[in-house]
Amino acid sequence: MNEPWRLLQTGFRSAAENMAIDRAILTAHSQGDVPPTVRFYGWNPPAISIGYFQNLVDEVDLQACKQHQIDYVRRITGGGAVFHDKEVTYSFVIKEDHPSISKNILESYGTICGAIIKGLNHLEVESSYAPINDILVNDKKISGNAQTRKLKTVLQHGTIMTDVDVEKMFQLLKVPNEKIKGKLIANVKERVTSLKHEMNQPFSFDDVSKALKDGFEETFDISLVFGKLTSKEKQLASTFEKTCFGNKEWIHQR
Amino acid sequence: MKTKSIYKVPNGKLIKIFMDYNQKPSYIKDIKITGDFFAYPEESIQQLEQYLIGSEIEKSSLEKMIAQFVKKNKIEFIGVSPESITEAVMRCRL
Repeated sequence: MNEPWRLLQTGFRSAAENMAIDRAILTAHSQGDVPPTVRFYGWNPPAISIGYFQNLVDEVDLQACKQHQIDYVRRITGGGAVFHDKEVTYSFVIKEDHPSISKNILESYGTICGAIIKGLNHLEVESSYAPINDILVNDKKISGNAQTRKLKTVLQHGTIMTDVDVEKMFQLLKVPNEKIKGKLIANVKERVTSLKHEMNQPFSFDDVSKALKDGFEETFDISLVFGKLTSKEKQLASTFEKTCFGNKEWIHQR
Repeated sequence: MKTKSIYKVPNGKLIKIFMDYNQKPSYIKDIKITGDFFAYPEESIQQLEQYLIGSEIEKSSLEKMIAQFVKKNKIEFIGVSPESITEAVMRCRL
């Protein structure tokens, strides 16, 4: 018990870099090169990520993204489109056969989201898990999460919104029916929230990520030890950036 | 004929199908199953799309085909099912 796991703080990076790093950690961990890893990161410039199965041009207004200098990327995880702006993003990588994680995908979502909920508790924020992949505060979504399993390894990443701008989000995402856009925005505003909105005070990236670190440590009974990406991970990330997340054809694959 | 359908799975995710089909006889010429669902392994959706090309667009046979494919390839769906994917395909023709 109290096994040392790795903690990464990789700062604010482009969408392609961020997604490439998550995949690089997955690959490196599957090969036994690095311990289970929790990573915290942000997005610069702000970006839209879409789920692996989504149709890019059907979901995202690419012209608006260009105009507002917003990045866009396809994830390797399923789920929906997310506008990453003022938030703390985490990723968590662990082998599927590790005793701390369930073989059952739904159960493992619950466990990992539980770590986020514990972390939010340290900020005096009370939240609850809304299966499959959401975390709510006062019945509103504050966190979305998505998991993939490749190479017998679990990668789950997710976002905890520190602030949210639904109007801006809808400038960048396409809606099925322009006529009801106003109504849709009003609806989403009622269902989505942020730490700032719920607690009436701003939260810094550092404070939130510190709290989430504690949440992971308590949930999994481990210590997170600050580490760095290995040179192999950096190489892997640069390859994934070229072949997938920074590759136009790959991003536009559906 | 190129069409699209949007289907919100009850208690599940959103499926958007983009399909090119032949009317008479009715069969799928090309299909993309998209949406905010989860499928494990992820590559299985592309394989399922390939598998469905040439299939007759008939509800019970499609549902059976998809269910068998899912079972055979040990696919795990979250937020969608063979039934709901079939429903979304059928709605392309409405």
